Amino acid sequence: MKSREQEYRELFMAEALEAYDAMSQHMSVLEKRPGDEGALNEVFRLLHNLKANARAMGHDAIGEVAHRMETIFGQIRSKERPFAGSMVPVLFSGIDVLGGMIRAVGANLPLTENVPLVENLDRVIEGEEPVLVDDESGTEEDATRKLELSDLVYIPIKKLDHLLNLVGELIIDRDRVLTLAQEIGDTTLQSVTAHLSRLADDLQYSVMDARLVGVGTLFNKFPRVVRDVATAEQKQVELTISGQDIQIDRNILQIITDSLLHLVRNAIGHGIETPQERLKAGKPEVGQLTLSAQTDRDNVLIRISDDGRGVDAERVRRKAVERGLLSREAAARLNEAEVHNLLFEAGFSTAEQVTEISGRGVGLDVVKLAIDSLGGQLRVDSRLGQGTTFTLVLPTSIAVKGALLFELDGHPYALPLMHTDSVVSLRPEKLHVVGGTLLAKVLAENIPVVRLADLLADNDDALPPANRAALLGPQDIIITNYNGRKLGLIVDRFLRQQDIVIKPVSQPLDMIDLFGGVTLLGSGQVCLVLDVPAITRLFLSRRP
Amino acid sequence: MKNRILIVDDSFYMRTMLKNMLTDAGYDVVGEAANGQQARDLASETKPDLITLDVILPDNTGLEVLKDIRQELPDVKIVMCSAVGQEVIVNEALESGASAYIVKPFSEDKVLEIVGGALQDSGASA
Repeated sequence: MKSREQEYRELFMAEALEAYDAMSQHMSVLEKRPGDEGALNEVFRLLHNLKANARAMGHDAIGEVAHRMETIFGQIRSKERPFAGSMVPVLFSGIDVLGGMIRAVGANLPLTENVPLVENLDRVIEGEEPVLVDDESGTEEDATRKLELSDLVYIPIKKLDHLLNLVGELIIDRDRVLTLAQEIGDTTLQSVTAHLSRLADDLQYSVMDARLVGVGTLFNKFPRVVRDVATAEQKQVELTISGQDIQIDRNILQIITDSLLHLVRNAIGHGIETPQERLKAGKPEVGQLTLSAQTDRDNVLIRISDDGRGVDAERVRRKAVERGLLSREAAARLNEAEVHNLLFEAGFSTAEQVTEISGRGVGLDVVKLAIDSLGGQLRVDSRLGQGTTFTLVLPTSIAVKGALLFELDGHPYALPLMHTDSVVSLRPEKLHVVGGTLLAKVLAENIPVVRLADLLADNDDALPPANRAALLGPQDIIITNYNGRKLGLIVDRFLRQQDIVIKPVSQPLDMIDLFGGVTLLGSGQVCLVLDVPAITRLFLSRRP
Repeated sequence: MKNRILIVDDSFYMRTMLKNMLTDAGYDVVGEAANGQQARDLASETKPDLITLDVILPDNTGLEVLKDIRQELPDVKIVMCSAVGQEVIVNEALESGASAYIVKPFSEDKVLEIVGGALQDSGASA
């Protein structure tokens, strides 16, 4: 018999605590949307259960409060009166008091009736004004409240940044120790270092995991933004959000916040047409905007999609020529995807009129730079008259990046995998020289190829015309991809693929923006990490 | 043969208590449902002799569930369960074909008395 009582007690506590948490959440919903039927029904149901269960357990003080609150919520639910006015603070304090009583039951403390609250609830039920006092009188309740600590700890992101840096250092040292143990060849040392290595891995992933937040924390701010922007632009827009639970590093989310805001404003300001235009085009009046997130291997994809007018390739070509970004002939030769990528060029913006909200003088190039700084990618896909989708390809974590290691002039270098399309080994006769530039045909695509050593040579002049005869034997080529622009880099030797911790480059080197950072290899060698966007730009400015 | 009973209540605590009481008294508890949909599904699947039905359920009011089950199983005895305060709903339930009702919190004696009475078709109420 005793054990059954114990079982009932545990069940009661578990359900009561759950009900309290749920009621608190529904109350904050009601604070914003007092008519929310789902929240009203749930609070009512939970109070009803809590009352019945508490009375069955003999906790009449809980039953008294819950019963009265249930009555009031019953009135609100059946629309006899609104969730508004002076009853609101009384109901909030009712929930608080119930929480305090439930915790007191859990701590085996005696329950005392909260007379002022019960009297106020009675007044509300009768339609009278409750007597509101400052929170000073609730001393008893405070006394119980001190007994519980939340299971959640709020940590300033700076502390987590510091922790992540330390882990980064540790990983580098771990790689060194592993290499040394290999060289020394002592089996005991090797087994200890193997264990150390596993611990360091676990630690790294735990710290990375602690920094992850749901994309929803950012996405959920957008219904409001969309409503405001749509109103200002006189557009009708329906927003659909999905993938809120996808997890990503908090700092990455922070960095893309402005970009996402910009893209959403753009989509409403320039993408989605006015209701009249839409009707004329045979579309529903209300434009659709989708904000979605999904994982793709180690990356997180965030998409902003609209069913608006799409990108007018002809207009983009014209603009690019007007702004002197390229010649009329070159513009005419660009395919659709290449035209879309022009949108991200510095100083290019198709916005003809600056509207109140979307026109802030910030172009897509700024968005592009923000994504680049994360080692991510920004893609655009658009169909004239049907809509546009922007896709942000983001790393899940900033700490560690997959990289391809290779050798050049006896030194190791790294290239982030995010910007690496493929690696090929080609015999010189497979390469062609066109207009002084080497071209390689890879998967039916002609890709310019350059010797990385030539490109890195300390020299601002144009590259010497390519000389195929100087290439001996098969050439190891890394095909990089930046903003849809592919470039083949000839290196001396591929080494391996490895997760690396990228550290910022220190003084004199940071003058050279070709390097996105530096990493230390297990051998203790310093390894420079190439910045693909910068390399691509350098090639374009120096091509013969 | 043991009478077969289906318990419908959204609180796990309540279901556990009812199940213990009824099982101890020799009834066969054939299922437990926590919401209206489960109640409908389990009722048509198990075809119990009696259902204890909570009046307030998450996805539906107990009343709608009562009417649906009544239609499918005209002979099943239904005992409504409710804490005080929802008498309006309980009255409507009795008019819609519930055999009896139990007011929470309930004592073991009371539950057995009402359930036993309903099964003998006496139409008892608390």
